[in-house]
Amino acid sequence: MSEAAVNPSEGISKIFRQPGRFIVPLSLVLLVGTATLLQPSFLSINNIQDILTQAAPLALVVLGQAFVILVRGLDLSVASLMASAAVLATAFNATSDAMIPVIFLVTIVVSAGVGLINGLLVTKRNVSPFLATLAMMIVLQGIRFYYTQGAPSGSLPEGFRVLGAGRLAGIPVNMLVFFFFFCILGWLLHKSSFGRKIYITGGNPKSANLVGIHADRVTIICYVICSVMAGIAGLFLVGFVGTVDNWVGRGYELDAIVACVLGGIMLTGGKGTLWGAATGALILILIFNIVIILGLPVQAQLIIKGIIIIFVAGLFSRSTQT
Amino acid sequence: MAYSKSRYLVRRLQLDPSLIIVILLLAIVVISGFVLSDRFGTTRNFMNVLEQSSGLGFASIGQAMVVIVGGIDLSIGAVVTASTIFMAAIVDLHPGLMIPMIFGTLLFGAMIGFCNGYITIKTGVHPLIVTLGTASILNGSVLIYTLQPTGGVPYWFEEFAYGRIWNVPISGLVMLLCFALVWLFLRYFQAGRAFYAVGGNPEAARLSGIQSNRIILLAYSASGFFAALAGVYFVSRTGVGDPRIGDPITLASITPVIIGGLILGGGKGNVLGVLLGVILISLLSNLLNYMNISTFIQWVIQGVIIIIAVSVYVHKGKKL
Repeated sequence: MSEAAVNPSEGISKIFRQPGRFIVPLSLVLLVGTATLLQPSFLSINNIQDILTQAAPLALVVLGQAFVILVRGLDLSVASLMASAAVLATAFNATSDAMIPVIFLVTIVVSAGVGLINGLLVTKRNVSPFLATLAMMIVLQGIRFYYTQGAPSGSLPEGFRVLGAGRLAGIPVNMLVFFFFFCILGWLLHKSSFGRKIYITGGNPKSANLVGIHADRVTIICYVICSVMAGIAGLFLVGFVGTVDNWVGRGYELDAIVACVLGGIMLTGGKGTLWGAATGALILILIFNIVIILGLPVQAQLIIKGIIIIFVAGLFSRSTQT
Repeated sequence: MAYSKSRYLVRRLQLDPSLIIVILLLAIVVISGFVLSDRFGTTRNFMNVLEQSSGLGFASIGQAMVVIVGGIDLSIGAVVTASTIFMAAIVDLHPGLMIPMIFGTLLFGAMIGFCNGYITIKTGVHPLIVTLGTASILNGSVLIYTLQPTGGVPYWFEEFAYGRIWNVPISGLVMLLCFALVWLFLRYFQAGRAFYAVGGNPEAARLSGIQSNRIILLAYSASGFFAALAGVYFVSRTGVGDPRIGDPITLASITPVIIGGLILGGGKGNVLGVLLGVILISLLSNLLNYMNISTFIQWVIQGVIIIIAVSVYVHKGKKL
């Protein structure tokens, strides 16, 4: 994924201005190296498959979050939406795999509606993205708990296990799905004219309007993409976990933002690549794995996540100021 | 202030619409309370609501101060949690330290707030990200220490939450006192007025000789301090340190701030509006409880209130 198409005139000097370009691949190599030293079986095929299976749901969310952050937004409702999608899927109480496409279709439509509301609030009502999506998070949570009365019941078709944790020719199924979306969204962001509009809107919404781009429309579409990806990720996560509860995907909102920041997507908007975001997701999952390998308590992941986000965000904000 | 008295009054009146809306909403809730439930309109119930709203009140004061200087504090819930554990765990081991530990806990909260402010200033990272980060660190640390409610305080300490003076709950009185002090500070002290200057336009504030960084540090420290005070209140109420008690407080502390008309983005608003917001939320949830409306529906209502309040106020204001 080359960024050259976006900023053709900037030349080599931008490498120095974007430390993410070095840091991201470097830290990936360092992390894999550390993990292999700590536990030689880390690089076994089996373990790599496991890690990819774990990484896929987060990576799906990250793809969507990247779009929102690129247009200067932030979506805190993704985790809540993931759980809502999971609960919605059980509402069908389906046992046959033939229902899976229907479940996906309904989830996508509902998620798109959620994203549309987020986008409209942010653009038309000028609500800060943080508050709009925060409120959406609470609303979804309330509806979900009201529907389930605290404890979800209902069942999912067997096929969800295959989607969430199965393998096709040794490759995790959910990773294949991730790759599919990665290609489509990557094309949309980096090759299509709409992608350019996203970067221009994120760079400066006012000048985007001046050059004839409907900045509001672009922003709304980004929110819709984010929510749809979150809904789909919720279905895959529930397939991976195997049980539905009201908190499927809890913490993914922060994880997705951390992954984007790690992958060099600027929170100020308009800068970063989808490739970077996906790498960020992988780095985060690797870090979680190393925490486990080191024998630290799972909660230590929270501490490490917090330190990383402050540190990396600080690093990037320094480099943009100078 | 270069404004003459009359100009100043006009400016004050222009700020008032948000307060009027809150007062109207309060009136609606109170009147429907009297109509819908015979248990709502009693002194006893109002005093209970005042007592129950204290935790939210303390947390909201701190949030309001940070919002006025143009920031946001998403670590309030985590600070509340950490304070309850900090206090209950240490007092459990050394019951004699009960009184010093109250102040120790407040200092502990203020220090965490100071760190938030310091990181925000030094790195230039958006406070949203910084405080999300510190919240994650605090929650992780607390959960490593304990997964269940732990520790304990002497029985008499519940007087802080449940005790009454002339039938008025002590915690409620402390909350009202805190609001009054912060209101006086923001209105009549030079440092307090600087809060609005920094929130309105940091660059202009800096050029007019205000040390913005100090004001921002003060705001975040105050936020941590009041979050810890909320923690002390919850310890008094429950008698233990609870690793989950602060989780809903972060969002809850933002709602009254928005309802009170403090525009996120900084530089505007009156903490008395926040107090009214706290009372409004508490009365509403009290009334909904009497009407047997599920907590889950109350969440939906809370979210919808945020959306409506924000889209009414923020439309012409700055974005966060």
